[in-house]
Amino acid sequence: MTPGWLLFIAATGMVVGMISAFRWLRLWSAASLVGAIGALAAAIWILKSGTVWDWQSAFAIGGESVHLRLDGLSAFFLALLAVLGGVGTVYQQEYWTNKKHPGSAPSGRAWWNAMLLNMGLLLLVANGLHFLIAWELFAVCAYFLITRERQRREVRQAGWLYLAASHTGTLCLFAFFTCLAARTGSWELGPMRERSELAPLFWLAIAGFGLKAGMFPLHIWLPSAHANAPSHVSAILSGVAIKMGIYGLVRFSGWLHVPDAAGWTVATLGVVSAVLGVAFALGQHDLKRLLAYHSVENIGIILIGLGFAMVARAHGNAAWGQLALAGSLLHVWNHGLFKGLLFLGAGSVLHATGTREMSRLGGLWRTMPWTAGLFTLGAVAISGLPPLNGFVSEWLVFLGLFDAISARGPIAWTAVPAAVLLGVTGALALACFVKVCGVVFLGVPRSQVAEHAHECGWRMRIPMLVLGAACGAIGLAPAFFWPAVASAAAAWQPEWANAAPPAPLFTVGAFHIAVVVLATFAALGLWSRVKRNGLSRGPTWDCGYAAPTPRMQYTAGSFAGIITNWFGWILRPQRHAHPPQGPFPSRTHFDEHTPETVLEHVVEPAGSVVMRLSTAVRRLQHGRLQAYILYLLIGLAALALLALMGGAE
Amino acid sequence: MNTTLDMLLRLLVWLLLAPLVPGIINKVKAWVAGRRGPPVLQLYYDLAKLWSKGVVLSTTVSPGHVAGPAVAWVAIVCAALLLPAGPAGAPLAFRGDALLFVYLLAFARFCTASAALDTGSAFEGMGAAREVSYAVLSEAAIITALLALSLQTGSVSLTAMLTPAAGAGAALLAAGLFAVLLAENCRVPFDDPNTHLELTMIHEVMVLDHSGPPLAAILHGASLKLLLFSVLLVEAVLPFGKLTPLMAAGALAGSVLTVAVGIGLVESLLARLAFHRVPLLLTTAFLLCLFALLVAWRGGQL
Repeated sequence: MTPGWLLFIAATGMVVGMISAFRWLRLWSAASLVGAIGALAAAIWILKSGTVWDWQSAFAIGGESVHLRLDGLSAFFLALLAVLGGVGTVYQQEYWTNKKHPGSAPSGRAWWNAMLLNMGLLLLVANGLHFLIAWELFAVCAYFLITRERQRREVRQAGWLYLAASHTGTLCLFAFFTCLAARTGSWELGPMRERSELAPLFWLAIAGFGLKAGMFPLHIWLPSAHANAPSHVSAILSGVAIKMGIYGLVRFSGWLHVPDAAGWTVATLGVVSAVLGVAFALGQHDLKRLLAYHSVENIGIILIGLGFAMVARAHGNAAWGQLALAGSLLHVWNHGLFKGLLFLGAGSVLHATGTREMSRLGGLWRTMPWTAGLFTLGAVAISGLPPLNGFVSEWLVFLGLFDAISARGPIAWTAVPAAVLLGVTGALALACFVKVCGVVFLGVPRSQVAEHAHECGWRMRIPMLVLGAACGAIGLAPAFFWPAVASAAAAWQPEWANAAPPAPLFTVGAFHIAVVVLATFAALGLWSRVKRNGLSRGPTWDCGYAAPTPRMQYTAGSFAGIITNWFGWILRPQRHAHPPQGPFPSRTHFDEHTPETVLEHVVEPAGSVVMRLSTAVRRLQHGRLQAYILYLLIGLAALALLALMGGAE
Repeated sequence: MNTTLDMLLRLLVWLLLAPLVPGIINKVKAWVAGRRGPPVLQLYYDLAKLWSKGVVLSTTVSPGHVAGPAVAWVAIVCAALLLPAGPAGAPLAFRGDALLFVYLLAFARFCTASAALDTGSAFEGMGAAREVSYAVLSEAAIITALLALSLQTGSVSLTAMLTPAAGAGAALLAAGLFAVLLAENCRVPFDDPNTHLELTMIHEVMVLDHSGPPLAAILHGASLKLLLFSVLLVEAVLPFGKLTPLMAAGALAGSVLTVAVGIGLVESLLARLAFHRVPLLLTTAFLLCLFALLVAWRGGQL
């Protein structure tokens, strides 16, 4: 079967699924899975063969004939979409059932298929107009998926914020594609690197795609949307949907002549997103909001790689540009996989306890061992630690930066802070995920709901297992996945196409396998030694205090306190405290909340200024006819004056 | 086969020598204080004793509480495989192993800190929070130090980076890395390994609820990490690659001994810093490494 047929099967599966989503659950599930597998097969076909599938039809939409193209880069993103779409399809069958959500589940499944289909189309179309149509359809589908629980106020607010932000981005993209079409005389998209006069348009692309990708400071919509969506939707939003922004940036930085400053800008925004994303994550107490901020961080890491690749290409430094680009692309996959896993894990926690508030959880490993184990695996991966996949991609970006510094020159001046801050980001992410794992899964349950949690069923567990296995596979055998990255990189810069990995990926993979084997043996050996020496149980040592309660455990806020104080200048945490006073203290109270600084201190004040101006202008319109005639007269007089003065010249 | 045997033998040397360093430090501290002090081999006796002792586990903990120390120990041992021992080189060397070295130690930190939170104790949570927070700053310093070395040698492999060493900024790098060594290994002035007050501890409080063989793994891992950092420090500063193997071995042993004595003297003469001062000192260490980087940069152009 050719990629064309596989894609046809994929699209048919999605459409059949969309139709059957309301009534025939089994058909929906089977058709969607077949669709996902078809798309995955087509993507693997293209990535493996390194060819391009191109299909032109006489059929026209909006006056433009349909032109589909699947090359290495779009196949790379399509593979991620297919994997997360497939696991999400299985996951929601238990997570968002008809029984629990009779109003929203059937239509949610239909929107789900519609969004997958439109994201797939977005990756395939080679026409600016169709790109815009697919982009808009996918953004609207995402809105309906985010607002599944419309009866809750914060969900509606998150949905509106998302829709407004998304359309601001779409506005930039409208400008981008129409200017492109006007200058080139055609909506057809393709490589046009030789036309340097198109370069300034790339700034519009950075704004439009950057808003979708959620890079700092355009990320304002992201935390609330990802936190309030159902978890399988959060997984695909964070794993794939924001990557559509990255896809746009990579695609058009590959096709267009990019302005010189664009690479620097992307890299700088990447560094800022990475560090501040993780800093904001540390300040969060809501599990899913925290994960959403980590998306900002990881988008930052991807942008660092992409930005330096663009700089390298502009300066003709293939060697380290390749490394940075490879790290960036591989991180797209990696982040999709481990963030998907983490959101599904968070969904499992939410499903079992009904709360996302970390200070009400704790000790969940007892009742939810699978979720706890798989979430911890994802946590190790996202912290960029060996032996999992997160390390491999960060390592490639690091190598690119180190080589850029060794090459000296002006590039090194930016590569030094980027490398140091990438290291800092890694350490901050580690701190954040030690906090999450420790507070949510370890220790003693902090509330009744945490105590009576239950493990999720197989339909939620298998998707997490699949994603966890993928994280492990890329970590242990990165060389196996190299051809896919190379094929995507070749689509970006054909001259950089080479089959050999630029870094010793095989050695790192072998080393990781050794670490895993040794760690397993060491853990088993130590356990058997403990058993042999004799094991007794006692209470945790608390300085001899006789009656420790679960509430005396370290909380998420106290754990992150040291670091959130360092970042207090931007996090601006709001603390409300009533410390105990007097010999017989009454009720004491402490709560802390980290608001979205950019939203509350930049966007909202700017919005209120606009509102005030508009209200002031509105006073002109009051329904009094006399005044309107006066306006007309003033206008006419002004025109006459203008005409006279113009005539005098 | 030969390479495997070679690797195992080198690893064995690392593992066997590691507990010596804390012994030397303690001896130095005892001498300065005018005491006779415990024997230099005390940690070996302790480890042997702990290995055959029974274990008391908290009723709160998950099975990961025993796995944590084991995995952390393996991560540190694997990091030892990447560090060269003078002209003999490292058992394993490839491009980018310097970063793997740093991230393996970070993985060990993840395991220890998670195992600490596993007990549900506020004290251990406090220690874990301090450990991961200060590590952010020391990570910045280490990455900068690696950048300086990489700029000097044009390589990202520890063996190549540490062989010539001794750039113009050696003194700066030495000072920066020494502060990082003290912070990462929880020595005075960042932490006091001998303190008896849980509220003021970092590393020691994280391991309060470990006992028996798991505690032995933690203590051995910590001593190995201390040895790794000492070797990294002296090799970053002194040009071992230019000496004959025998002289290099002697010089390496001598300089690691000097570092251990230095740590002992610091512990005897300095008081522990207040916690809000710790970031200042670590930032200073970062700046020292940054200046070393700048010196390395100039060095290449002259």
